Amino acid sequence: MTASPQLAPRAAWRPSGRGPRRLPTRRALAPYVFIAPFIAIFALFSVYPLVFALRLSFTDWRGAGSASWVGWDNYTYLLTSPAFWASLGNSGILWLLILPAQLVIGVVAAVLLNNAKLRLRGFYRTAFIVPFVTPLVAIAQVWVVVFDQNFGPVNGLLNLVGIPDVGWLVTSEWSKVTLALLFLWKTTGFAIIIVLSGLQAIDDTVYEAASLDGASRARQLWSITVPLLRRTLLFLVVLQTLAVFQMFAEPVVVTNGGPYGSTTTAGVYLYNHISRADLGTGAANSFLLVIAVMVLSLVFVRVLRPKD
Amino acid sequence: MTTASGLRPRPAIVSQVFLVLLTLLFLSPVVWAVLSSFKPAIEIIRDPLGFDPTAFTLDNFIGMFGHVPLASGFMNTAIVLVLKGGMILFLAPLAGYAFAKYEFPLKNLLFGTVLVTLTLPIIVLIIPLLLEMKEFGWINTYQALVLPDSFGLAFSIFWMRQVIASVPDELLDAARVDGSGEFGIFWRIVLPVIRPGLAGLAVLTVMNIYNDFIWPVVVTTTDSMQTLQVVLSTLAQNITGQAIGADYATVTGELLAAASIALVPLLIIFIALQRHFINGILAGSVKG
Amino acid sequence: MHQHRPRQVPTAARVSAVGLAVAVSLGLTACGPSIGGGEESSTDVLVAPTETSGEITIWSRSGDLYEVFEGVIDKFNEKYPDITVDHQAVDIGAKLQNTLITATDVPDGVFLDDQLVPGYADYLWDLSDVLAPYTVDIAQQKLDVNTVDGAIYGVPWDLNPGLLFYNATALEAAGIDAESIETYDDLLTAAEEYKAFRPDAGPIHLEQSAFLGQLQLEMYASQLGTSIADENGELRLDSPEYEQILGFLDSVQKGGLGTRAEYLGPTDIAALESGQQVFYPWSIWFDFAPQQLLTETQGDWRATSLPAWEAGGARSGAMGGASFILPKDGENADLAWLFYEFLAFDEEGYTAVYGPNDIYPDGLNTSIPSYGPAAQADKPLFGTVDALGGQDLWKTAVEAGEQIPGSVPTPSWWGGAVDYLGNNVQKMLDGTMTPDEVIDSSTTDIQTNLVDRQ
Repeated sequence: MTASPQLAPRAAWRPSGRGPRRLPTRRALAPYVFIAPFIAIFALFSVYPLVFALRLSFTDWRGAGSASWVGWDNYTYLLTSPAFWASLGNSGILWLLILPAQLVIGVVAAVLLNNAKLRLRGFYRTAFIVPFVTPLVAIAQVWVVVFDQNFGPVNGLLNLVGIPDVGWLVTSEWSKVTLALLFLWKTTGFAIIIVLSGLQAIDDTVYEAASLDGASRARQLWSITVPLLRRTLLFLVVLQTLAVFQMFAEPVVVTNGGPYGSTTTAGVYLYNHISRADLGTGAANSFLLVIAVMVLSLVFVRVLRPKD
Repeated sequence: MTTASGLRPRPAIVSQVFLVLLTLLFLSPVVWAVLSSFKPAIEIIRDPLGFDPTAFTLDNFIGMFGHVPLASGFMNTAIVLVLKGGMILFLAPLAGYAFAKYEFPLKNLLFGTVLVTLTLPIIVLIIPLLLEMKEFGWINTYQALVLPDSFGLAFSIFWMRQVIASVPDELLDAARVDGSGEFGIFWRIVLPVIRPGLAGLAVLTVMNIYNDFIWPVVVTTTDSMQTLQVVLSTLAQNITGQAIGADYATVTGELLAAASIALVPLLIIFIALQRHFINGILAGSVKG
Repeated sequence: MHQHRPRQVPTAARVSAVGLAVAVSLGLTACGPSIGGGEESSTDVLVAPTETSGEITIWSRSGDLYEVFEGVIDKFNEKYPDITVDHQAVDIGAKLQNTLITATDVPDGVFLDDQLVPGYADYLWDLSDVLAPYTVDIAQQKLDVNTVDGAIYGVPWDLNPGLLFYNATALEAAGIDAESIETYDDLLTAAEEYKAFRPDAGPIHLEQSAFLGQLQLEMYASQLGTSIADENGELRLDSPEYEQILGFLDSVQKGGLGTRAEYLGPTDIAALESGQQVFYPWSIWFDFAPQQLLTETQGDWRATSLPAWEAGGARSGAMGGASFILPKDGENADLAWLFYEFLAFDEEGYTAVYGPNDIYPDGLNTSIPSYGPAAQADKPLFGTVDALGGQDLWKTAVEAGEQIPGSVPTPSWWGGAVDYLGNNVQKMLDGTMTPDEVIDSSTTDIQTNLVDRQ
């Protein structure tokens, strides 16, 4: 007799009367069959490269010839390199600049868009998603021009209200802000979509009850919507944290990691190793990054886990 | 303060202003890019913020069509969209359903692999994946563009699991009582119910595939297999990074022209998918 | 929905499942680089082809150069009708490394910046044999940057001599004769005079991009016959030459004699157009600016040789430049050699490249050939430049080019050095570092992070 998995007390698997032997097997197999394609792809295109990269991380390989074994050398180099820690720090600061802002804007915008009475909803939704699909290379130009400290319109506007020129792209202090603005611009549409999807799973009756109780809209937002969105928000936070830490295209294209390495994020630092054909160090760097990111994700899951 | 006609009051002025402001911020750089593509290329560099309607020109577009394999770029992107999008939109809800509504041995371990996939930085996988593609003989093939995206699939599975988790079990039970097979339950009950969530996934999947350039740049070396983003980033090489001595005015103009054109199909797709984002799903669902 | 625990899978089963996956993967990793003692990679010397028929795939950087080379293919086919050229515009920086690593669909010839050539040497054909008839006539600097351990890895193409571009009109108004400037000390004096005449000026350009700044630094160093590293890859930053160069840049900054801007960025252009920035020591390809970008001061600009560091010293150095490489894994590298031979050394070829064509009606003037017979001062290939007041730029550039001292191949870590040297120079121009600090700090960092880890 084949062992069958525990049945849920709510009896999701009530026998339908077709016979005891056939059903449990089909039901038992179903999830495996459904997941199998992903596992295949995972094994082929994640596990293999990962193990390969792990091997690589203990070697010095420049892409040609054979790789020489260096043991822990790459790891010790990275862990004692100020540049490595600086890159993590840069990513951390970017995270602080980006995530809270994105969460707030994302939730507020999604809630507003969720209102069936809002005119031009479709227009807004389309407008918000446009940045996400605009090629980065085209937008990088815009950023360079708009934030130019002598001739850019941003400083122009600031000057109008009496604020002196800000070195958006040329000072270490402001370059991260400028980069954060780019990332926010590009990905908040994505965040809005995710939150919007989460919102649509919330039943309207919940709001009905709250309104009857006399709760104001803002209060409803804070006490009802946000808690119910917890899972969605956690998902978003984890995903965007990954994205921020791995980000390399934006800093490379707009500031090339500068000025003075201030926008050399963890991703850029890693990218530099690989583009300079220092593949062993690159591989070691990736694993350190994976560990860092996994730790962060676990922290978030702990802190933000829905209490159900 | 509910009005008689519904649960939600009309959006306040503050909300409207906020949305309009957000729209302006989001759209103005893109509008700049599109408008600039109609300026003479030199003007784009010399006077980025000036717009002289009398100097309106189509030179950038004409030059771009002559130099840039836009048509094949579109075609390849379309093919990848259909193949990969179809794959993800089918496999992700399926696996998400399995994780959400079934209990089985190794479930946590298997879901763990989904999570692990999400945390892997793409960059580390590129060189090994590339060598693997070479072993399989898949360089410059469609399968190389479509299959090796465990991240995309993992993300989609994660999301679908969440969406499907809120599908009431009673629906599934009812279907089982009616004698439906496992896959049938998925196909006939779950999928229709999660339509908005699926639409959301479709939108994001399309966006991500469209946007994807890191891997396609690496795995396609011939013109004929380049997707749109690869075409664009080839154009951009003289502007970004460390260009020396290149005529980047013309290239900038052509790049903006190409980027403007690249936006159009996506906007069309998105507008078409709009009507699936309906409010108050689970029509006819069992409450309680 | 209740959370409940599925039946526990025995740990042994779990572990073995994971172990199996890993084992399979480890087996797969057999394909990949072999690990062990590094083998010496052999140099392969290219031999000229006997048959001249076949198809070649050529990669060029997209943009105007692609168009120019494309225009030459017809002429090439007049000489070699049976060679089909598949000419592709490619993002070489993004693609080349991966293509060479996977050895799949490797092109037969690639256009590559000089400073990158030595880094790819392991993948390339040694061209000493096929280049032998021409080497005596090729500019020494170009040969040197392409030569590693006695083997030549690139077909030298264009020479990029550094020149001093100056705004003649603005300087005349100030009573300054730029042609009389012979040394960098003279340049400083002229800048001071100009600033006295026009107090809001920053007469000399100071580069703000770390990468281009380092490239320009190497131009100055090239005048003095040095560079960051010697032919053995040993750092030689700590030297009187670099002290002099950095000292000069520091003086410009301290004296308020410089405009600090990114090359041809909005600030740079504005300062050039307004007459605040009148001296631009840069490679010849700066001439793009007066021709295309500087509409208000077009015609005011001229080019002359760079000042020398000592009276009588070399009055030019190389900044940039590209060559053609032939990967060993290309199918028809020998045929690709014929194509590049035609481009660089055949009169029909180089005339077609530099002379008037559809893309450049007056010829390509952002570089000059490095091949002597092609670069003769009295036989210009490109026309006089209106934007430079009708100047015979060809003559100026060729004469400057002849002064460029010999050089050494660029170390493969040169790009990575920008993080240290490039950034430090920028800090010096900010005023937060002294020239000695730049040298010390860069030497230490480059040694530890780049040289030692090779």
